[in-house]
Amino acid sequence: MYAEVLTQVLTQVAAVVAFLLVVSVAAFVGRERLVATVREWRPRVRASAPAFAVLLVVLWLNRVMRQAGPGISERIGVHMTETFYDLEGEFVLVFQSIATGELTAYFSFIYVYGYAFLLIFPGIAYFALSDTRAFRRLLTAYSLNYVIGLAFYLLVIAYGPRNVMPEELTVTMLYDNSPEYQHLTREVNRNTNVFPSLHTSLAATVGIFAYETRSSYPKWFPIAVVLAVSVALSTMYLGIHWAIDVVAGLALAVGSVWLSNVLVGRRSIAELRRDVARRLPDRDDRE
Amino acid sequence: MNCDSTDPGDGVSRRAVLAAGATGLVLPTSGCVDRVESAVDQEMDRLALSITTVPADGDREAVRIARELEANLEDVGVDASIDMRSRSEFLETILIDRDFDLYVGRHPAGFDPDFLYEALHSAYANEAGWQNPFGFANIPFDDALEAQRRADGDEREAIVADLLETLAEEKPFDPICFPEEHRVARTDRFEGWSADHPESRHGYLGLEPAENVDRLRVLVTDSRISRNLNPLSATLRERGSTIDLVYDSLATEHDGELVPWLAEDVTLERADADDDHVARARITLREDCRFHDDEPVRAEDVAFTYRFLEDTSLGRAEFESPPPRYRGHATAVDTVDVEDDRELRLGFAAGVEAARRALTVPILPAHRWRDQIRSRAEDTTSFTATQGEWGLVTMDNVPPVGSGPFRFESNSEREHLTLERFDDHFTRREDVDLPAVGVEQLQFGIDPGSASSIERVANDGADFTASMLEAHALDSVPDEPDVDHLAAPSRTFYHVGYNTRAEPFSNPHARRIVSRLLDPSWIVDAIFDGHATPTAAPLPEEWVPDELGWDGQDPATPFFGSDGDLDVETARAALESAGYQYDDQGRLRL
Amino acid sequence: MTEADTAPTDRPRSRRSVLAGAAGLAVATSGCVRQVRTVVNREDVDQLSVTIVTRPADGDREGIRLARAIADVLEAVGVDVAIDMRSNEEYLRAVLINHEFDLSVGVHPGGTDPDVLYEALHSRYAEESGWQNPFGYANMQVDELLEDQRRADGDEREAIVADLLETVAREQPFVPICVPEEHRFVRTDRFDGWGEAHPATRLGYLELEPGSDVERLRTAHTDARPSENLNPLTAEYRDDEPFLELVYDSLATERDGEIEPWLAEDWTYDDGTLRVRLREDCRFHDDEPVRAEDVAFTYRLLQDTELEDEEGTSPPPRYRGLAAAVDAIDVDDELELELELDAGEAVAERALTVPILPEHVWTERAESATVPGVRVAQGTTEAITTDNVPPIGSGPFRFESRTEREHLTLERFDDHFTRREDVALPEPPVEEFRVGIDPRSTSAIELVTGDDADVTSAPLETYVLDDVEPDPETAILESPSWRFYHLGFNARRAPFANPRFRRLVARLIDKAWIAEDVFDGYAAPTATPVTEEWTPAELAWDGQDPATPFFGTDGDLDVAAAVDAFEDAGFNYDDGTLRVRR
Repeated sequence: MYAEVLTQVLTQVAAVVAFLLVVSVAAFVGRERLVATVREWRPRVRASAPAFAVLLVVLWLNRVMRQAGPGISERIGVHMTETFYDLEGEFVLVFQSIATGELTAYFSFIYVYGYAFLLIFPGIAYFALSDTRAFRRLLTAYSLNYVIGLAFYLLVIAYGPRNVMPEELTVTMLYDNSPEYQHLTREVNRNTNVFPSLHTSLAATVGIFAYETRSSYPKWFPIAVVLAVSVALSTMYLGIHWAIDVVAGLALAVGSVWLSNVLVGRRSIAELRRDVARRLPDRDDRE
Repeated sequence: MNCDSTDPGDGVSRRAVLAAGATGLVLPTSGCVDRVESAVDQEMDRLALSITTVPADGDREAVRIARELEANLEDVGVDASIDMRSRSEFLETILIDRDFDLYVGRHPAGFDPDFLYEALHSAYANEAGWQNPFGFANIPFDDALEAQRRADGDEREAIVADLLETLAEEKPFDPICFPEEHRVARTDRFEGWSADHPESRHGYLGLEPAENVDRLRVLVTDSRISRNLNPLSATLRERGSTIDLVYDSLATEHDGELVPWLAEDVTLERADADDDHVARARITLREDCRFHDDEPVRAEDVAFTYRFLEDTSLGRAEFESPPPRYRGHATAVDTVDVEDDRELRLGFAAGVEAARRALTVPILPAHRWRDQIRSRAEDTTSFTATQGEWGLVTMDNVPPVGSGPFRFESNSEREHLTLERFDDHFTRREDVDLPAVGVEQLQFGIDPGSASSIERVANDGADFTASMLEAHALDSVPDEPDVDHLAAPSRTFYHVGYNTRAEPFSNPHARRIVSRLLDPSWIVDAIFDGHATPTAAPLPEEWVPDELGWDGQDPATPFFGSDGDLDVETARAALESAGYQYDDQGRLRL
Repeated sequence: MTEADTAPTDRPRSRRSVLAGAAGLAVATSGCVRQVRTVVNREDVDQLSVTIVTRPADGDREGIRLARAIADVLEAVGVDVAIDMRSNEEYLRAVLINHEFDLSVGVHPGGTDPDVLYEALHSRYAEESGWQNPFGYANMQVDELLEDQRRADGDEREAIVADLLETVAREQPFVPICVPEEHRFVRTDRFDGWGEAHPATRLGYLELEPGSDVERLRTAHTDARPSENLNPLTAEYRDDEPFLELVYDSLATERDGEIEPWLAEDWTYDDGTLRVRLREDCRFHDDEPVRAEDVAFTYRLLQDTELEDEEGTSPPPRYRGLAAAVDAIDVDDELELELELDAGEAVAERALTVPILPEHVWTERAESATVPGVRVAQGTTEAITTDNVPPIGSGPFRFESRTEREHLTLERFDDHFTRREDVALPEPPVEEFRVGIDPRSTSAIELVTGDDADVTSAPLETYVLDDVEPDPETAILESPSWRFYHLGFNARRAPFANPRFRRLVARLIDKAWIAEDVFDGYAAPTATPVTEEWTPAELAWDGQDPATPFFGTDGDLDVAAAVDAFEDAGFNYDDGTLRVRR
C-alpha cells in the first residue's frame, strides 16, 4: 500500500523528467555528439567508472544514514533551530508577500521536476563529450556534496521554516498544496536535515559546471543558471529552508566544484593505469 | 573613606578590578573592595525561558500555540525561545530527562479522573515517565488525590471538584482546550465506522468488510509503531491504542463503561469496612485463551503483570524500578490472589471508580518477560535497572506476543506495521457477545501528514486515517459518498506544562501569570478553526464545578487582554506585583 | 608484463569485496546503534550533590559544627555534600543577596513577633535581595495566612498564627533547629542595671546606671563589621548589635515585647491608620531638625531606595516587611503625620520600629551606585552600598570616630530628648561609648576580666561558657533569645522546591542531640521559628520534634528507615546513592 503511493509519484515524476530530458538532449547535445557517444561509450564508461562507483557508494551510504542518522545525531548533534531563527528572523517570509498561485505552481514544479531534471541532464550532456573529465568532475562534485552534506546532517539538528512558522507559510507550503511530494522527499531526507540545503548546493554545482563548460554547451548555460537560481529560491519560497541553509548550500557547491577540480586529473584512472603499465617494462629493462 | 567615583565603567570585569586592587594599583582600601563586591554581586540575569514542543510535522497546532506563547512572553520582557524536538525526543526530554522550563503538548488523559493521580502526586515527582513530569509536590493536594482515589459516587465528585479548584489556582499545568478528533474513512470497503471509538479495540472489531476485502489499510502519521511495540515505553507510545490490539486487558473501556474482555466475569465492589482494602474484585478469566505463541493465558500471567508493573526488575535489582507508564493503574492494586488457573481476587487501594483503570492494563505473557529479565540480570555483575530507562523498557519488543485479537505479522521501519487476525481469539467464539474482527489483515501505513492522508483515502489508497487530522487540513476532506468524515470530542487536552522543580516555575505566581498570557478562546478560533473546546480544567464538563466552567475566559487565570491581543501593560504590572523586577530596558530579570 | 596483465583483474575483485564489506559494516552500524542504546542505559542520573554555605569556625563555631553534623547525616542517606565556608559578609551576601546556595546553615535573627515570618516567607519577596524571603519560597496558602495574621489582632490573630505555624511546620521552607542561649560577660563594679533591658537593644545600654566617676562604657565586640560599615540598610554588615539603634532613633522602641513611644511622643491607632506625633525640637547630629518629612521620607526609601513610584523598585535588603505594611503617609505639619497601614494594631506598631533617616543626607543616595571601572547591577543604589560613615542620626549617641577592625567610638548626643527633664525615658549613661573589636570570645572575656572592657557586647559562643569563671566583679548575663539556628533551603533549585524532600531532610536532624552536643546544652531545640509564647501546643517541643520527628534516637540516624522514607516519597536510589535530576 505504501509502495503504491511512492511508485505512483515516482512514475509521474519520471515520466515528466524523461520527457524534458529527451527534449533537452535533442536541443543542446546535438546529433554529432550523440553519434560519437554511441561509438565510444565503452572506453568512456571505463574512464568514468571509478567516479561513478564512488557516487553510488555515497548515495547508498546516504540511504543507510537515513535510518541510522537520527540515532547518531541524537548523540553528537547540536540543536540549531532556534539559533537559525534568531539569526535570520523571518526573512523567508518576504516570499510570502509576493506569493501568487502561479508562483507557487512554478516553484513547486521547479522543486521536484526542475531539480530532478537539472541533476540528470548534465550527466547525459557531459557523458556525450569526448573528454570525460567534465563528466568525472560532475560525478565527483555530486559525491562531495553528498558526503559533506551528510556530515552536517549528523552534526546539525534543525527544523526548517515550515515546521517553525507553519501559520505564516500556509499559502505556499509545498506539502499542504501538493502533499504527494512528501512521499518522495521523505525517501531521501529527514525533516531535521535542513542545513545545508542540498537542493541548492547540487543545483548550484550544476550551474557552476554549466559556466565552466559553456564553450561546449553555450545554450545550456543560461538555462542552467535560471533553473539553479529557481531551485534555490524555491526552497525558501516553499518554506523548506532558511536563507542560512541556502547560503551554506552555495558555499558547499563552490567548495565541491573546486575540490573536484583538484581531485580529478586530466587523465582518468584507466588512462593512468595504461601509462603506468607502459612505463613499467622500461624500468625492468633498466634493471 | 568613599571610593572617588569616576564615570561608570563599561563592563570591566569585577575580577579585573579586584585583581588590580590586589596588586595595590587601583583601590587603596579594603572598604572599596567591599563596595565593589556589594555593588557588583547583585548581578541578575535576564529571565530566559525555553518552550519545548514538537515541529509542525509532529503537531501543527502545538507549534502555533507555542509560538503565540513565545511572542507574548517576549512582549512582557522574557527572553523566550522554542526548543523544537521530534515527537519521541520531545517525550524523552519532558518525561525522562525532565530537562525543560515549560512545554506545549497534548495530554493523553484517561477515561477516569484518576489519571490525575499519577500526573500530579508528589511521590512520582522524581520518576521517569508519564507520572508527574511537572515535579509538582503539594502536600494538601496529595491528600486530595488520595482521597478521590478511595471515594466513590457523590463523595468522589465533591472531592474532584475541590481538586480541580486547587489545580486551577496552583496551575502545575495550564489546560487550554479539548480538540475534536477528526478522521476520514472509506465506506465502500468497510462498514460500521462510528465516530465514537475509532481508535480503540471496539473501533476495529465492529467493522464489516465488503466482499473480497481482506485488508484494512490504515494511515498513521506517527512512525513510532513501525519500529517499537513495547507497552512500557513512555516516549514511543501515545495513547497505546495499537498495543490494545495486540494485547488483551481484563476489561476494556467502551463508551465510558467497563466491559469485561479477557475476563469473562468481573465483580468489582467496595470492600467491607473491616477490610484493609478499599475495593475488591473477583475475576474469572475466559477459558482456553492463548497467547500468540500458543501458550495458554492463565491467572498467573495476570498476577505477573501487576507485579511487573510495580517493579519491572521483579525485585532482582537493588532498588525497585517502576515502569514509565501504567504507574497509576498499577498502584491502585494492592494484592493479587491467584486461586486457580482462571480465578483471581484483587484487592485495591482505590474505590470502585478509580479501580476500573487498573483493569485496563495489557496482560503480558509471564514466560516471555521473565526470560527477558533473567537474561538481562545475568549479563551484568551488579544489576541496576534504572527506573524508566533500562533495557527492558527501551527495547523495541518486535515481534510483540500478546493475546489480543490481532497478532504481529510484519513491519518495516518508517513504512508500515502489519497485523493479522488472531484466529484463536475469544472474540471469534460464538458464545462470546463481543464484536469479532472482520478483516484478515490490518496494515498501518506511515504517512507524513494530515493533508496527504486525506488525499490517499480519497484516492482509495487507504481506508482510514487513525491519527487525528489536524484542523488546517480539514478543508480538504472531500464531499464524496464513499468517504465518511468522522468527528468526536476528545478527552485528550492541549496544555502548557511547567517544570515546578526549579525557578521560575517553582513559584505558583509565575505559573499563573504565564497561564494568563494565552487566550484559549482565541486559540480555538484562530489555530483550531473552531474545532476545539476551550477549557479551564483537564476533565470533561460533568466533573467541572460551576465556578470553573468556561464562560468566555478562564475563571482562575483570565487572559490579560481580549481576543488574542495581549494587554502588555497589565501583564507587566502583574509580574511586578508578584515581585519580579524589570530593568530600564523593559527586560524581566530573575 | 605479468603484473600489467594481472593488475586489472585483481582490481574488480577487491573492489567488490570492499563494497560488500562496507555494506555489512553499515548495516551492522545502524542496527548496532540501536542495540547499544537498548543495552546501555541512557545518561545516568547523577548522585544528588549539594553545597552547604556557612561561616567558618572563626565566624561561628557552632554554625560550622552544625553544618558538619548535617553534612554527615545527608551523606549517610546517599547525598554528596560539600561545605562552602564564607566570611561573615560573604556568607550573608551569598545567601541574602545573590541567592547562590543550595543549603545554608546559620543564625536567623527571628523576632519577638511572628510578623517577621511575613518578610521571611511571603512569595512576593522571593526575587528580592535581602532578608526578605532568601529561600525563594512560594506557597499561596502560606501567603494568605501571612497576610491574614498581619491584619488581625488579639485572639483572632493568635488563631491565624497557630494555623500559619502548623502549615509552615508541614512545609519546612527552612528547618528551625534550636535557640541558643544568649550569654554575655559583664563587669558589675562599674555599671548597674545589666539586664534591665535586653543588651541587644538600645534600652539595654540606656538603662545602665554608671557608678561614680564612670564616664566611659567599653565593650569587647567579637565582630568587626560595625567598625567597617554603619549603614542600617546593608544586610551583610548588620548582625545582632545595638549600636545603630543608639545612633538612629525610631518612632517607637521595643521593651520586653511591648512597643513604647520613643521618637514619637505618642500615637493613636484607628482601623489601619496611625496618627503619630513627634516630639518637639528633636535634632539630628548635624543640628538639622527632625521633621515629619524625614519620617515620611524614611518609609518611602525603605520601600524603594530609588525613590521612584513605579518602574522597577529597588527595595532595601532590610526592613522590607515592616515598611511594606505602610500604604500611604500624610504629613500634616512639622510634627504630625498619618500613616495608613494594611495591618492590625500589633503589626502597625511594629512598623514604627524602623530607624528614622535624615532626608537631607539620604536623598542624594537614591541613585545608582557607581564604582570606578565596573558595571553595576541594575537597582543597586548608593543607599544600599554606602558604608555611611559618619552616620547622621538623631539617637542618644553620635558617631565620634572609628578605626576599621579596631574600634568604633560613639559619644553622647547632648541634645537628645532623653536628656530632657520632662521625658521619662532612660538617658545615655556615659559620655563615651567605645566598641572595641576583638574577634575571639575567649580574649573578649579576658578583656572584661582585666577591666579593659565592661561587657562582651556580642553573645558568647557556647563553647566558652563552661570555662568562664566569674569573680566578684564580673557576672554572666543571660538574656532571652529569639535568634535561632536553621537549615535554609534554596527553594528555587531542584529538589528543594519539593516539600517532601525538605521534610525528610528535617527528619535527619536530631535537634535535641544537637542542642546537647554542638551547643553544650546551652540551646533549646525548637520546632517553630517563633518564641515560645507564640508556639501552639501541638508544636511545642516535647522531647522530640512533633512535626518532623528524628529517624533514630540519641543522635544515631536510623539510615535504613530514612532511606525507606526517601524511597516512599518517590526519590530513587542507585548504587546506594540518592539520585535526583536537578
